[in-house]
Amino acid sequence: MDSSTWLKILGYIITPITAFVVGVTYGGIVRVITARVQNRFGPPITQNFWDIIKLYSKKTAVHHGLMQHWGPVFAITASVTSLFFIPVLKDSPLWLNNSFNGDIIFLLYMMVFGSLGMALGAGQTGNPNSAIGVARGLALMVGYEVPFVLALVAIMIQFKTTSIAELMAVQDGFSNWLIFQSPFAFIAAILAFLGMMHYAPFDVTFAPAEIASGPASEFGGKYLALMQTSGSIFTFAKLVLFTDIFLGGAGDLVTLIVKTFLLYMIPVLTGIVNPRYRTEQAITFFWKWPTVFGIIAILIVVL
Amino acid sequence: MISVPVILSVMFLGGVLAWLANRFVPKGASWTAAIIAAFAGYLVFALPSCGGEYTLALGSITLVWKSTNYSALFAMLVAVLGFLGILYSMDFMAGKKNLGYYYMNFLFALGAMLGIVYSQDLVSLFFFWEVMTWSSFMLVIYSGEEKSHKAGIKYFAYSAIGAYLILSAIVILYAQSNSFLLSENVKMFSGMSLGTQIMVISFLALGFGVKSAMMPLHVWAPEAYKESPSGFTAVFSGALSKMGIFGLGLVVFKFAANTEFFVYVRETLAWLGGLTAMLATFYAVIQSDAKKLLAYSSIGQLGYIIVGLALGTPLGIMAALFLTIMHGAFKAMLFMSAGAVYMRTGTTSLDDVSGLITKMPLTFLTALFGIISVAGIPPLGGFISKWMLYQALLETNHYFLIIVIFIASTAAFLYLYRFIFSLFLGQREKEFEHVKEVPWSMLVPMMLLTLFVLVAGVFPGLVLDPIGKAMGYLGNFKASWEPQVVFSAWGEKINMQVIAGTIGTIFILGALFIGFKNRKATRVVSTKDIHTAGEIPTENENLTYAVNFNQPFERAIAPILKWSVDKLFNLLGENLESTFEYLRYVYTGNGQTYAMYVILMVVILILFSGSIFGIHL
Amino acid sequence: MEFSPVLYIAIPLFAAFLIPLLGKVSKTLVKLTPGIVFLYLSYGSILLFPKAMEKPIVQVVAGFKPPFGISLYYGATAAFLITMVTIVGFVIWLYSYKFIIREPIEKYYMLFMMLITGSTGILLTGDMFNMFVFLEITSIAAYSLTAFLRDKDGAEAAFKYLLIGSFSSTFYLLSVMIIYSYTGTLNFADIAGKIDLIPPMAKGFVLVLVLVGMGIEAEMFPLNGWAPDAYSQAPSPVGAVFGGIVVKAGLYAMIRIVFLFFKTPEVMQFLIFMGILTLLIAEMAAMRQHQIKRMLAFSSIGQMGLVIIALGIGTMGSTSAALFQMFNHALIKSLLFFAAGYLVFHSGSKQIEDLEGLGYDKPVTSFFFAVGALAIIGLPPFSGFWSKLLILVSVAKAGDIAILLLILTGSVIEAIYYLRAVVKLYTRKEVPDNVRRTPISGLVAMGILAAIILYVGLYPGVIEKWLAPAANNLLNAADYIKAGLF
Repeated sequence: MDSSTWLKILGYIITPITAFVVGVTYGGIVRVITARVQNRFGPPITQNFWDIIKLYSKKTAVHHGLMQHWGPVFAITASVTSLFFIPVLKDSPLWLNNSFNGDIIFLLYMMVFGSLGMALGAGQTGNPNSAIGVARGLALMVGYEVPFVLALVAIMIQFKTTSIAELMAVQDGFSNWLIFQSPFAFIAAILAFLGMMHYAPFDVTFAPAEIASGPASEFGGKYLALMQTSGSIFTFAKLVLFTDIFLGGAGDLVTLIVKTFLLYMIPVLTGIVNPRYRTEQAITFFWKWPTVFGIIAILIVVL
Repeated sequence: MISVPVILSVMFLGGVLAWLANRFVPKGASWTAAIIAAFAGYLVFALPSCGGEYTLALGSITLVWKSTNYSALFAMLVAVLGFLGILYSMDFMAGKKNLGYYYMNFLFALGAMLGIVYSQDLVSLFFFWEVMTWSSFMLVIYSGEEKSHKAGIKYFAYSAIGAYLILSAIVILYAQSNSFLLSENVKMFSGMSLGTQIMVISFLALGFGVKSAMMPLHVWAPEAYKESPSGFTAVFSGALSKMGIFGLGLVVFKFAANTEFFVYVRETLAWLGGLTAMLATFYAVIQSDAKKLLAYSSIGQLGYIIVGLALGTPLGIMAALFLTIMHGAFKAMLFMSAGAVYMRTGTTSLDDVSGLITKMPLTFLTALFGIISVAGIPPLGGFISKWMLYQALLETNHYFLIIVIFIASTAAFLYLYRFIFSLFLGQREKEFEHVKEVPWSMLVPMMLLTLFVLVAGVFPGLVLDPIGKAMGYLGNFKASWEPQVVFSAWGEKINMQVIAGTIGTIFILGALFIGFKNRKATRVVSTKDIHTAGEIPTENENLTYAVNFNQPFERAIAPILKWSVDKLFNLLGENLESTFEYLRYVYTGNGQTYAMYVILMVVILILFSGSIFGIHL
Repeated sequence: MEFSPVLYIAIPLFAAFLIPLLGKVSKTLVKLTPGIVFLYLSYGSILLFPKAMEKPIVQVVAGFKPPFGISLYYGATAAFLITMVTIVGFVIWLYSYKFIIREPIEKYYMLFMMLITGSTGILLTGDMFNMFVFLEITSIAAYSLTAFLRDKDGAEAAFKYLLIGSFSSTFYLLSVMIIYSYTGTLNFADIAGKIDLIPPMAKGFVLVLVLVGMGIEAEMFPLNGWAPDAYSQAPSPVGAVFGGIVVKAGLYAMIRIVFLFFKTPEVMQFLIFMGILTLLIAEMAAMRQHQIKRMLAFSSIGQMGLVIIALGIGTMGSTSAALFQMFNHALIKSLLFFAAGYLVFHSGSKQIEDLEGLGYDKPVTSFFFAVGALAIIGLPPFSGFWSKLLILVSVAKAGDIAILLLILTGSVIEAIYYLRAVVKLYTRKEVPDNVRRTPISGLVAMGILAAIILYVGLYPGVIEKWLAPAANNLLNAADYIKAGLF
């Protein structure tokens, strides 16, 4: 095998690991920040690592059937596949993986794959809270997809491409970032992003105090470990996607981490200071201002 | 000698034969029907497309049939689904009454569909169109229950309106061109007056729109789908409603394409299709019956197909035809699995059934693949059609339509999840403990279709080959694809091999990990054994959250749901009927009144004879 | 002996007088006589039909040459319709064979034969006054048959029929008088040549009188009040006679006179207009009926409206289509009345509501009803499909899309109420055990009709080829005059 193949294989290994590490670290940081805002100390930043490692090492006592088995597998499949199809770093063969040009439409569907798989797993557990959480989560998704897609459509028709790589190519130089080129699209997308990250006020899906973490409530041990792994990777994948589309992508890891971190702080900080919306309130929220911004974004492109 | 008349004769005579067989041999009808359908299916595949013309002279009118690439595509869909539907029915319908009637009408419907697609003249098209309508009507009312009759009458009434609109268009065309031949009319169409063109196109589009359940002409569909036996519902939704699409394809590309207002036709259809997709999906979300849910889902999916056709770009048509085939497969799977549940539990209510996964694992698997396909999640067949559709929408600058479509396809997750969750997941009621998996003859069609959506998803080129040929019939459309790669007009490409490979590899790795990590220590427990704040539900407590599952979403879209065309039409119908009720008292039943009418008539005619007859008295 | 058209009148008339006498001897003979008559007439049709299609056969009765004597005009139209009458008459007899069990059966068959005499007479005659005579024969037989069951409803219906029917006769007779006073002749062909002798005002009166007088017989709105009652109160085969034979003869008479004397665009417009009114109002009324036979009656009226529209368009195509529709309607409506007759008999109620479940209990009869319903709606592969298609084609050719859509509106309504009745039959319900079966003769009668309907539906060419000469004969006044006066 020649060197490019080895590089590719290395990429397949290194990308998810990086995503996992970054994702989990971000999770730890969030816990610290939340604690500080609430006047607590909070756990160490590495706490999430220990949690996951502990879960992996524990024996899992019970499960409720095949779909519960497969739910976390679906989730990890979706997050890793999504990651593989997003160009993580600009023009870097090591981080390219399968992305070629990175197709936005494909990613939109791939990202749902995991939620649906998880939902199926949660459904089989027979816990009513899980099903309630799923119903809420799916409904919420219909809410935030509207502004999100409006924003993406605005961008796609502006540059006549559905490829992330090409979008990154047009964002040469700071002033050409899409956040500045199409600010309304960015606003719509970032508002949708709030919902996508499931932080308050859009945390009806998991709402720990209300429905005992919803879909995840019957999962423990290896299942929960796999789900948390997947969640971390997925968080990172979404952040990279947003960075690629709106913030011009990144040429090296450090830039990428800075950009994604800043982006991540938006939903996190919003979440800390907000109470929770009811599901229908959340949906109607997304269908009001964010949608208007999305439509403005499209109109600007068209006119 | 394989020819269209032979195929049609096999189907229709086969129908009669199945009916006869039922009278003499127990189980005769189902076996006969299955053999006939298989044989006719073989003939359909063996029939060379672009073969010669076959004519049948009926007095002054001659019926002309020919297998074109376009008709071959639909014929294959009909033949395959028809055979699988009958195979499925063998056990599904076992022990029911009037099986001869059922299989006869089933085969008639299949024969009529084949007749429609092979027709090269409008009379033959309409002839078979009507045969299709009544034979499917017969199947809708099969159960003999009051509800099925209501549904049947509604179905027939809307179909009749649609059919008569088609008929009007046909005779208007004939009045202009003096020919019933499709090709003649297409040739002469651009020379006709603007008024004629508009009339013909709108009548045809509305007529075919009824069958393809385009909003607001869809109101017959949910009830009709629900009431027909599931073996036929699969064909009904999968193939029969596609006849509307077949017709719309002809209208758009054979007739409207030669007019000056082509773009308006396309835009109107595209938006109607888009709104159909969205609203039908919303209605599907709030249904509490599996088959009605699937019916609305069907309506929505046909909306996508109409959008694709109406876009008129190669990619759009390809998306539409691909989805036509895929929808035929996956909606048949879903209806068959709903039917399987019905067979074992006696209901399709989403509120009542739950937790059947362990009892009916293969049915569940079919449903799972079905919903993944409908949702358009890669790597199954639904995805590639959605991808092409979005690309086509983008390249034709339909910015807002794409949003409508996207909302529809996202909201689809809500009802799809509800479908599979309510039937198969959650806690099982005690009464369903005895439920068994359905027999093999029902599983085989489901499994074959499952395999098909998987293969078609990974190797879309297999399905795109006949579709490409069919597009050649509709016009000079060129699109490029490779067995596993599809290209868009913007130069994007999607490689299903890589996608399926990645997903498959990671899934297998994950499944191995979950499967083998401390496998021995993990045991399966009942779904009653759950974490509910320390309390364990007792045997008779069922905690499944199934009733009003999508209530949050329902509340959010309440303003939209307030408007219902169905109610509007029903109101209109009722008002019309009460008007008729008044009118009928013109006939008072009193001889004196009738005598008065006669006198009045004479008086009026004499008084106004100048203006009526031009003769002054 | 060579078969002569006069036998179409003479033989049934003779049979009508013979039947009461035979009644003294044997009931079976009474029952068999009409069958023999029809078989003989069919034999005559086979002989004469092809000839008449080529050239009208004009026969002089009583030795005077036209225009002085009474002449019979057996042209293509008459041949077509008389053949239809023979076929329908035969199956009606077959059906009646077991259906009419109520005494006095010899009266029934006598009146039935009288009806046939009158109807064939109307179709055959070339003389205006002679037509009046046959009209009277038909009407009187029809009134009596309406009241055949001798119940209150039947008597009431018959009385209404009589009341309105006498208007018909009177008006028609008046018109004959006016015409005779101006032209001095009663022969159709002769009058047609001398029509200009009549001053416009008198001509207008004649037109009005003929339209109203014959409009009553042809069930034109609003003159058709008698029809629903008569159809539904008379025994079922009589309903078939009315729908299949009597009304067709009345319509033929009206159209023959209008086409010969008054074929102006205004009159044709008027016919179209009345046809549409008749069609739509009858269909709407039919939709709200609760009794099956009343529903069929209104449907009959609606179908006549359709035929009137097609005739009013007055082109070659539309006239052939109208004749085709008359033929189909005669067969299909008879089938429906036959089936409905036994369904009512089995359920013991005339209400559609009470037919529930009969589809499973009496499968064959119900099946024939369903076939009839599908056929009359105009669904393929039954014969009604083709005639409706041809009518619509001719309407479209005439360029009036509004009429096209109105006809189709009527058809949609028709489809709905027929199917409502059909599904009622097939509603699953426990029906009390009913040992009575539909007799073989009834089933055979229905079977024959259904077979013809299906055969014509699959191969319309068999009828279609006769339509052109028949329509030509009806449309072409000059030819009629030439042949009629030889």
